[in-house]
Amino acid sequence: MSLLALSDVSKRFGGVNALADVSFAVEQGDVLGIIGPNGAGKTTLLNCISGLYHLDTGDIRWESASIRGLAPHRIARLGIGRTFQIVRPFPSMTVRENTAMGALFGRPGARLQPGAALSEADTVLDVVGLGEKRHYPVLRLTVPDRKRLEVARALAMRPRLLLLDEVMAGLNQVEIEQALEMVRRVRDSGVTIVLIEHVMKVIVGVCKRALVLNFGRILVEGPPADVLKDRRVIEAYLGQRYAREQERKET
Amino acid sequence: MIAREDRLPPRLRRSIFAVTMVALAYVILAPLTSIDAAQQAGLPLLTDKVWFRIVTTVLMFVVLASAWNIVGGLTGYASFGNIAFFGLGAYTVGALVANRGWPFGLALLVAPIVPALFALVIGLPLLRLRGHYFAVATLGVGVATGEVVNNVGPLGASTGLFLPIVRSDLLFFYLMLAAAGLAVLTTWVILRTRFGYGLLAIRENEEAAAVIGVNTNFYKVAAFCIAAALSGIAGGIFAQWNSFINQELVFAVSDNVQMILMAVLGGAGTALGPVAGAVVLELIIQTLAGGGSGSVYSQIGLGILLAVCVIFIPRGVIDFFGGRSKLSLRYFRQTLRETSA
Amino acid sequence: MSQFIQQVILGLLLGGVYVAVALGFSLVWGILNIVNLAHGALVIVGAYVTWALFTRWHVDPFLSLPVDALVLFVIGYALQRGVINRLIRAPLLFTFLLTFGLNLVIVSLLLLIFTADFRSVTTTYSGSGLELGNVIIPYIRVGGLAVALVLAGILWAILNRTRIGAAILAVGADRDAAQLVGVDLRHIYALTFAIGAAFAGVAGGIISTFQSITPTAGDPYTLQAFAVVILGGLGRVSATVAGGLAFGLIEVLGQSAPWLGSGYANAIAFVVLVVVLVVRPRGLLGRLA
Repeated sequence: MSLLALSDVSKRFGGVNALADVSFAVEQGDVLGIIGPNGAGKTTLLNCISGLYHLDTGDIRWESASIRGLAPHRIARLGIGRTFQIVRPFPSMTVRENTAMGALFGRPGARLQPGAALSEADTVLDVVGLGEKRHYPVLRLTVPDRKRLEVARALAMRPRLLLLDEVMAGLNQVEIEQALEMVRRVRDSGVTIVLIEHVMKVIVGVCKRALVLNFGRILVEGPPADVLKDRRVIEAYLGQRYAREQERKET
Repeated sequence: MIAREDRLPPRLRRSIFAVTMVALAYVILAPLTSIDAAQQAGLPLLTDKVWFRIVTTVLMFVVLASAWNIVGGLTGYASFGNIAFFGLGAYTVGALVANRGWPFGLALLVAPIVPALFALVIGLPLLRLRGHYFAVATLGVGVATGEVVNNVGPLGASTGLFLPIVRSDLLFFYLMLAAAGLAVLTTWVILRTRFGYGLLAIRENEEAAAVIGVNTNFYKVAAFCIAAALSGIAGGIFAQWNSFINQELVFAVSDNVQMILMAVLGGAGTALGPVAGAVVLELIIQTLAGGGSGSVYSQIGLGILLAVCVIFIPRGVIDFFGGRSKLSLRYFRQTLRETSA
Repeated sequence: MSQFIQQVILGLLLGGVYVAVALGFSLVWGILNIVNLAHGALVIVGAYVTWALFTRWHVDPFLSLPVDALVLFVIGYALQRGVINRLIRAPLLFTFLLTFGLNLVIVSLLLLIFTADFRSVTTTYSGSGLELGNVIIPYIRVGGLAVALVLAGILWAILNRTRIGAAILAVGADRDAAQLVGVDLRHIYALTFAIGAAFAGVAGGIISTFQSITPTAGDPYTLQAFAVVILGGLGRVSATVAGGLAFGLIEVLGQSAPWLGSGYANAIAFVVLVVVLVVRPRGLLGRLA
């Protein structure tokens, strides 16, 4: 039984097919990378899974129970956490308080009280590397740190599945390495991860499988190294001419 | 904790605390000097009719501003129709006492219930709206509810409702004081519980709140109902205190604006902000009113005051006490620059 | 049956008034993102200007409309440039409070100047109308509708056929980008508000022909303008026209229902508002974004 399974999911906005016939499964312990050109529907996919968007067709199953149509907070409580591409912290709260929010509301089962949630937050902050800045107001954080905070808040929910939306965007090489390390730590702690990325190094570095979206459809699925060499993928990103030239060079 | 009241420099905090305690003691105890027993014992009379009228009105606005703060300040949904809850509370007591002969005390117990139920019904569709839309939709609620009441025969239609007169400044003062205490206490408690954190999360970023597990619909409606109940109590007390209610008195949108201004001016999102705002603003208004709160000059004064406050002090007076900003020309200039074209 | 036709015609004619009132409101909201709670007050100022011209110099109300427009244009420009511009980047709540405060001030000033007495503008043709069988079509109402449609046409032309209009639309679409291409934001803001106010003034002039005016008579119009914009949709002149006409029909037909009466004008506006917001937030003809 897969942890998460999508079948024939599609979502339209007016005349645009943001997602069409998307089907794939995520197993416990997987690290699945989702790549694709801008506008391919990657964030829409995450929004559908976390319940912010309603599906037009298809189904999403969490451990074989359908979660289609569930309110976002219910999906969160099932154990699915997510980050946003453009981070959405709670500006008037400190780093510690922000993180605690995840523990306060997102735990499947038990309802924590504020005090317990704050202690939980301290633990999580050390995992992501924000321990020293726990009392900072959010506005004082740099962009990479805000992304860490976003992950921390999701981790505080003790999710079984973590959806990461372009966590690496805007980071320099060093920061990417650090973030990669953090993702590996999260993976090693037993959390299944689905991450959207543009930085290929990350996909290759930590994902077992990769999935390519283009114009709302799945183009290719498989081990990252193979996927990245696939002609159709190159075509989608760089155009037909470049793909043809690459092919010619290789033969 | 999220409330920033604990950011004061210690010495200043102690002196403000002391002053507030003294003022509070005065307000609570002074009315007792008007009891016959106290008079006979030779105590000086510290209060008079005017004192009672003004202070009770201030307390009423403390309730209203605090109630509004729960929905507008904590949750971020600026409602322009909360006055409807006040009016419904007033008319609940009015109808029960005037039409059905209920004793005031019993009617007052029902006063929070009707507005809360109304808030539940109206909140479900309205709280799906945001920003402008929510504001004007609630404005519509306030106006329309008043209009409906104004047309319903059994509720006195345009004449209004008359309640049997109960002469006791003391009673209504202490009732309103209790209501104010309840309102502030409610806010204070909310801010320290999971519920409060949830409301703040909704205010700061509703989508993020939803995906970390906050049941946003439930929380918003709950906040709305709590605010409605508190406002209803104030309305119920007012009905008997004034012995007369009509649409103009209890469904006045300008009162709604006043409570918003008080909460915002005092510091929305804190438990004591609305209190400070209510006290300061109502005293100013009473002073401006001079000959009567309906006078044209007081309206002009209020309008200008509103404009000035909103332009120059958007973050609320509590901001100064929070230690984040100092009362200075630079602060005002900076604020202006941040908000101007 | 002719009763029904009479209602429909009256509804459309009333709709004309709503179109006139809502045009300026819609412009200011769509471009400046300001819901102007003082809009009704501006309308009434226009009504008073027409009344003053009529009473003092016997100017026909329809001829005084351009004067209404001019006076309100100046007032609107000054208001935006001097006051409202200070808050344009602040959270919505503050512009709301500010325009509410302005409303208080304007209405109070009108009370001081004109007192609360009801004023009316009655011309020789006020009572008469076109008679088609059993149906009467009052002349002033037709005049009102005609003016409203002309106003809509003028607004459309300004926005779509002039350079200033292009600047206004640009500011509405993306104020930072507009600045980058050289648009003087403060001036365009003020101009937009001024145009909106001018239209409000003309609407006021129309209203004075069939309604007795008093300083507080403008308040219902603000809420109704809001309902019209919600009903019709933001983003297009045609949307406001559709919304205004539809709203006029709803109000007339609604008030003729047995259990309602004329005291429910605001309640009807509000119900329409909420229903539309919940069922079809975009409105009849509004754009999606």
